[in-house]
Amino acid sequence: MKKIWKFLGSMQFAIILLVILAAACAGGSFIPQGLSPEQYAAQYSERVAGLIVGLRLDDVFHAWWFLVLTAFLCGNLLLCNLIRLPQLIRRTRAAADPGKLGTPSVHAEGVRDFNALLAKLRMPKAVEGSDGEGRPVRYSVQNRIGLWGAWVCHLGILLLILGFTLGQMTKEEYTVYGVPGETKRIAEQDYAVRINDFRVDRQENGFVQQYTSDLTILELSGGEQAAAIDTQASVNHPGSAFGFKIYQNAMGDAAKLSVRKDGETLQESYLCVGDALQIMGTPLYLQLQSILPDYETGADGHTRSGFAYLIYVGDEFYTMSVRAEGEQIADFKPYEVFFSEPCSYTLLQIKRDRFTPLALVGGVVTLLGLLLAFYLQTRKLWARREEDGTWTVFGSSPKGGALFADRVKDAVEQLKNQS
Amino acid sequence: MNTLLNVENILFYAVICLYFLAMIGYFLFIGLKKERLAKAAAIVQTVGLLLHTAALICRGIGAGRLPMTNQYEFATSFAWGLCLVSLVFIAKFKFPVIGAFAAPVILLLIGYAAMQSKEVKDLMPSLRSSWLGFHVSTAIIAYGSFGVSFVLGIIFLLREKMKDKGFWDQHVPSREKLDLISYRSVCLGLLFLTFTIISGAIWAEQAWGSYWSWDPKETWSLVTWLIYAVYLHLRIRRGWKGKTAAVFAVVGFICVMFTYVGVNTFLPGIHSYA
Ligand code: HEM
Repeated sequence: MKKIWKFLGSMQFAIILLVILAAACAGGSFIPQGLSPEQYAAQYSERVAGLIVGLRLDDVFHAWWFLVLTAFLCGNLLLCNLIRLPQLIRRTRAAADPGKLGTPSVHAEGVRDFNALLAKLRMPKAVEGSDGEGRPVRYSVQNRIGLWGAWVCHLGILLLILGFTLGQMTKEEYTVYGVPGETKRIAEQDYAVRINDFRVDRQENGFVQQYTSDLTILELSGGEQAAAIDTQASVNHPGSAFGFKIYQNAMGDAAKLSVRKDGETLQESYLCVGDALQIMGTPLYLQLQSILPDYETGADGHTRSGFAYLIYVGDEFYTMSVRAEGEQIADFKPYEVFFSEPCSYTLLQIKRDRFTPLALVGGVVTLLGLLLAFYLQTRKLWARREEDGTWTVFGSSPKGGALFADRVKDAVEQLKNQS
Repeated sequence: MNTLLNVENILFYAVICLYFLAMIGYFLFIGLKKERLAKAAAIVQTVGLLLHTAALICRGIGAGRLPMTNQYEFATSFAWGLCLVSLVFIAKFKFPVIGAFAAPVILLLIGYAAMQSKEVKDLMPSLRSSWLGFHVSTAIIAYGSFGVSFVLGIIFLLREKMKDKGFWDQHVPSREKLDLISYRSVCLGLLFLTFTIISGAIWAEQAWGSYWSWDPKETWSLVTWLIYAVYLHLRIRRGWKGKTAAVFAVVGFICVMFTYVGVNTFLPGIHSYA
């Protein structure tokens, strides 16, 4: 039992997990994700397709075994950090203790000025003390905090995975689209979005620079407006209100659809390309398929847009055609049905993920840990005074190793040459 | 505007010539065992890097934005990053043999850049972000550092075959030191790759509404990151240190190249521009 715990918290297990996770991610990027079993069968052989679906390779990143691996990694990290915490505290204390200088990996004799050597190596000034055997020694320790790098990095990764996973489990995500002037409910929520304006900024050559929606987010209470917040969403600059973030996701064509009878307007609303609307009480559905700019030129020289549409009876396709702006679609008689005022609709993604900040903190902590581990390497130099007045210098750096020894040797040489 | 882009074009080809010359210099240094040739090669490479920098600045001003937004610009920047980091390591560790191994990789990258379209295209709205510069420039440094780790990994694996004791022992550090130098380059690379991934996530959150969507480019940058994490732990474990770690340093760079070239070529995704 104890052995199992030890293995679960070991670095060996960590290496195995990291390699498997890397392989799983690579696999998940090669195998197309989220297709149907039939699509896999068409792309691969029947057997391979069975394997893909059976092992959930069609949705690697949400497969149970991927989650289990991630959970094991978290457990591994947690155990490793817990086990190592007391050790780390002891090592940090010991690093500053002249009684526990350890085995040197650097050795230099005949140094005239120990503090000059330390200055050259950009290490702190020496402190006096006595070594493990009670002999006087001068020593200098640098970057003890660096010992914590790996620990902090592991903690950061834990927070990152935690933030990401909790976010995936609890986030709410909605899509809302409409044309300026419309107010749309956010799914079943007690919130609605009023689209006040939608602008497309273009460069001189017509290339789109930015899409911007001016919005008011309404909080509803019993169907009534209780509070409202104005916000703006554009690409790279999401808006925010009531804990939601609102992203400018896409745009598309829309047009006004009017239904009249005997000159009286019965129904008037905007229809986005792709959407269908039931016309009055009839079983007929009208779907706007696309808008054709400059569809026809009238006698006055003005161009008019064309509106391609489909008509369904229930969900059966019935007919399709194109009509110009204001031109009647005869199939709905006695109703006069026509499109006009081509415009753009905005498509917004509305999202609430309370754990994004946790993931961000995790990322920043990971970075901090890497900085500590890589760029604040712990180093020690200590020196004993010889009878001729020179210093014999010892040193060690767990991570600098032979490179640190070289640096010390170079510095000693340079000092000798100077004097 | 156009004149600057023309200047850039001329500089670009001059840079290729200089990098080629530098490579020949490094090869001759090894072939003829003449130290002065290594110095000359490093000088030629440095001049190449300066002109390369000038070329990138010309392109940036000529295009009116950062030169980091399409395959051509990123390929030439990648070559620039590898050139810069390799020169830093050559100087810092007095180790010109790095140049002989890095120069062919630099030429491959800049050659790949030469095959891409140099047309200056308009930027789509999602690329117009202040995160672009940070995200891509950290990636350039990360990739450059990993290129150096790759070179050092290969030198490490070849070290035992370097029989001519006098020359090699003078110019190539021992395996122990090679491992430490390679570790320095992986540290630099991994730190910058982490910056790249985090800034990319922040940007993706603003632009696409989701900071991580398992898009192939994201996924492959994670694979790369995991491979180098494995490298770090292998180094710490006694016994596996050295050779296995060197193999991972080499595999890591293959992942980097796949993230950069392979993902765009073989796997569809929203990162389709660069
Ligand atoms: C994604 C996962 C992980 C990452 C990114 C990571 C990262 C790191 C880094 C950056 C270091 C410092 C290396 C150095 O200074 O050269 C390190 C050290 C270490 N890691 Fe991890 N690690 C991960 C998972 C784990 C796990 C699961 C364990 C569990 C046992 C573990 C155990 C260790 C140990 C024992 C050290 C040595 C610490 C020291 O030298 O003070 N790592 N890790």
